[in-house]
Amino acid sequence: MDHGEKGGGLRGWLERRYQLATLIEFLSHKQVPLGSHWMGWYYLGGITMFFFVVQVITGVLLLMYYQPGEATAYESIRFLTTKVPFGWLIRSIHSWSAHLMIVSLTLHMFSTMMLKAYRPPRELTWVSGYILFLLTLGFGFSGYLLPWNKLAYFATTVGTNIVASVPLLGDWLLQVLRGGPDVTVNTLYRFFAAHVVILPLAFVGLIGSHLLFIQRQGMALPLGAKVAPRGMKFFPSFALRDLLLWLACLMVLVSLAVFLPYGPGIPGMDWELGDKADPMAPAYPGIKPEWYFLWEYQLLKEFPPHLFGLEGPQVCLFLIAILFGIWAIIPWLDRRAARGQASPAFSDLGWAAILFLTYLTLAGWDIGAGGAGSDLASMPKVARVSAWWTLMAGMVVIVFRFWRYEHRYFVLTLAALLQVGLHGFFGVSYLMAGVFSIAAAAFAAATLRLLRSGTAGGGGP
Amino acid sequence: MLTAKDENGKPIITPEQQTYFDGLNDNLKEMLNRAVEKETISRPEHLSILLGLQLRPQKMELVLQNNCILCHSDSANHSADTLFSVAPVAGAKPSHMNLKEIVEDVHFRHGVSCAGCHGGDPAADLGHAHVKEWPEKDREKNRAWVVQFCARCHSDPATMHDFNPALPTDQLAKFKDSPHGHRLLDQHDDRAPSCVSCHGVHGIRPAKDPQSKVYAQRVPETCGACHANPETMAGSKRADGSPLPTTQLAEFRTSVHGKALLQRGDLGAPACNDCHGNHGAVPPGVASVSRSCSLCHSANASLFDGSKHKIAFDQHGWAECSKCHGNHAIQKTHDQMLAAGPGALCTDCHRQFSKDNPNCEATAEYFHQTITRMDAAKNDLMAVSEKLAAKGLDTDPINNQLTELADTLKKTRTYVHSFSRNTFQQVALPGEEAARQANALVNKAREDYKYRQIWLAASIAAIGLLMGALYLKLRQLEK
Repeated sequence: MDHGEKGGGLRGWLERRYQLATLIEFLSHKQVPLGSHWMGWYYLGGITMFFFVVQVITGVLLLMYYQPGEATAYESIRFLTTKVPFGWLIRSIHSWSAHLMIVSLTLHMFSTMMLKAYRPPRELTWVSGYILFLLTLGFGFSGYLLPWNKLAYFATTVGTNIVASVPLLGDWLLQVLRGGPDVTVNTLYRFFAAHVVILPLAFVGLIGSHLLFIQRQGMALPLGAKVAPRGMKFFPSFALRDLLLWLACLMVLVSLAVFLPYGPGIPGMDWELGDKADPMAPAYPGIKPEWYFLWEYQLLKEFPPHLFGLEGPQVCLFLIAILFGIWAIIPWLDRRAARGQASPAFSDLGWAAILFLTYLTLAGWDIGAGGAGSDLASMPKVARVSAWWTLMAGMVVIVFRFWRYEHRYFVLTLAALLQVGLHGFFGVSYLMAGVFSIAAAAFAAATLRLLRSGTAGGGGP
Repeated sequence: MLTAKDENGKPIITPEQQTYFDGLNDNLKEMLNRAVEKETISRPEHLSILLGLQLRPQKMELVLQNNCILCHSDSANHSADTLFSVAPVAGAKPSHMNLKEIVEDVHFRHGVSCAGCHGGDPAADLGHAHVKEWPEKDREKNRAWVVQFCARCHSDPATMHDFNPALPTDQLAKFKDSPHGHRLLDQHDDRAPSCVSCHGVHGIRPAKDPQSKVYAQRVPETCGACHANPETMAGSKRADGSPLPTTQLAEFRTSVHGKALLQRGDLGAPACNDCHGNHGAVPPGVASVSRSCSLCHSANASLFDGSKHKIAFDQHGWAECSKCHGNHAIQKTHDQMLAAGPGALCTDCHRQFSKDNPNCEATAEYFHQTITRMDAAKNDLMAVSEKLAAKGLDTDPINNQLTELADTLKKTRTYVHSFSRNTFQQVALPGEEAARQANALVNKAREDYKYRQIWLAASIAAIGLLMGALYLKLRQLEK
């Protein structure tokens, strides 16, 4: 009899019903391919998921006290953090975990991009991951308003205002987003609904697809390899390592939540409750979004009020949409990687994107303004100091890539640095510097291509 | 006339004036037409001046009904001394002939118009018959006539009722009894002020109008025009025969009241007239100083009235509040005023006038120590509370106690004026209790923080142990 063969106890009881041995057997045969690159990159997806689980758990606990509403949202969070035992800890962990989730997710996305793990047949894994990234930003944006405090109110007013620049549909979109012409309690209700129902449902569904794709296709082999040079058993070796890392993350998370309950004190990464939102109060100067939206905020500032007969913010939104679009279809653009060949231009694109975001984020932080904020007088100094730091980082990146990864293609990285340099040190407007750098990069890429085809032709029979 | 051009071919009526004209209602356009037909407006330059005023319709109607203004605003008819110009040259006489000012004048706006003072008929083509009270000559030599002239209406309740029933009609009576009135009316001193000295001539506005010369924030400057001028004030004496100083305005500007009124724009702060009166302006005497101050500082005044100091001050003949706080240069009070030792307010006075009463000095010392102790506790606890809040601890209960402490502190500073140890002590007690409570709550919050750290250490140890076990298991499995 089957029942007798599978032993007693809980394990046997479960085995008789669910045939767990088959699953463990399957998992123990599953291999994680190891290659020329650091294995650490493989854990970032798991870490992101760990933070998401923390978000779900702490979010549910917050929900037990949070009451959306004009007269209750702020008060309930205040009550939770001051009177409810460990309420402060739950809110602090939720906030820290949100920021750390975005950090790990961004690293996960860039590592996938650099390792070309998006190449066929894993295009949909990339796309689903990319949508998960956008949803995470949506979580950040919607959750920010929920405490209904002054900072969140004005930041949301400024943030939602951006959609008004969308041609034709702008006003309608703004109404839909805010539930009316202004940020009111209706906005709070719909942000609440989005934060705790709509986005989680979409997120869980997409994570399911993302994991299913990985499960079906396995992890991507190192570029150019037909068979993994080495491998690691998924179970128990990789899974237990994952668990170890999650515990380490938990340790860090709890420590941060206890010692820095309102964040590290960096602008855009601060969640002290402060005063209650007052729609009648004047908006105070220097309102900035969270750190992960800072680059868009700064890019909007770099645009003139009018460009090509359109409003500056409209053109900027169009540009941002194009950049996001390009990022989404990278698996189809990178045809060399699809053929299993090295694609240095796309590695370089990844690094150029990082430097592009670095400069805008630093400038958005008013690095170098000496606390003067983003007034007109300090803008050239902010541009200079931010450019200096970006150039330094860029140089380190180039040297490191040249030495460690033997990269030889730096056209896009250099173009990004050229733009920053022209703007920061020579006072050329950010957009003009960008146009000049793109033209220089196109010229350099075309020249390199010509030289290569010339060399190939000369070397032929 | 609207399309006329000057010798350079430029239109005399500017586009803004044309737009203003186009926006006028039919009635005003008709009135303008009639004025042009009757040649009270005979030149495009004259029309340009009137349209350039950009007056509201009601005011424009008053101007167009008034032939005096129409005629006296045309430079072709009048020389500088009788011409209302739009922008008279700064310093040029007469400075009151400003057309923009007269249309803002409260009398003009209420329809009193030129004839109300000067006589004549503004609807007639020409008329210069002055009212009988208007002096034919020496009008500027002795201004005593001005007060009687204004009083024709302003002292007549029936007349004033038609314009502003709330306006008092006792100005002349008060003025007659004031030092200003005596000087002007009895001593015929030309330097003494009349109505126009403070209120202006053609641009008189209600006292609540911020542009009025007697608006609260402008009163110090208006009074100072004479009182801060040594030339004007030469020979003026106080009741005790000493010369009247001219430093009041400068002192007032540095005072707590002056800063509040002139720098912060706090209209609740007193100007000159709030202590001295206006039409009956007089220096507050010894007995009335505290009455003036108590209009605002009622709690302090009532405590003082019931104190031993009231009797002592009366015996010495000292003006009450100003003895310790000064008058025009009154500064923000500080706790050091109560301190013992040379230079301190209480000690200095008591060592001179109450040598045989050591209790007084001890009481001052007690006031000082209690207040400074509470103040120090409040400042220290606030700083600690901020630090605890930054660590994420609940500081609401601490802050509630600190609010109580701050309120009590404010109250004790007032209760110094009781000069009674017992009364003061009763008020100070809740503050001292609040400081004790806040201290206890701070200690509790610190304990809470310690517990958080202990719990964290325990959690980290537990997680660490789990991680160690996992690591060992992994090693064992991979062997």
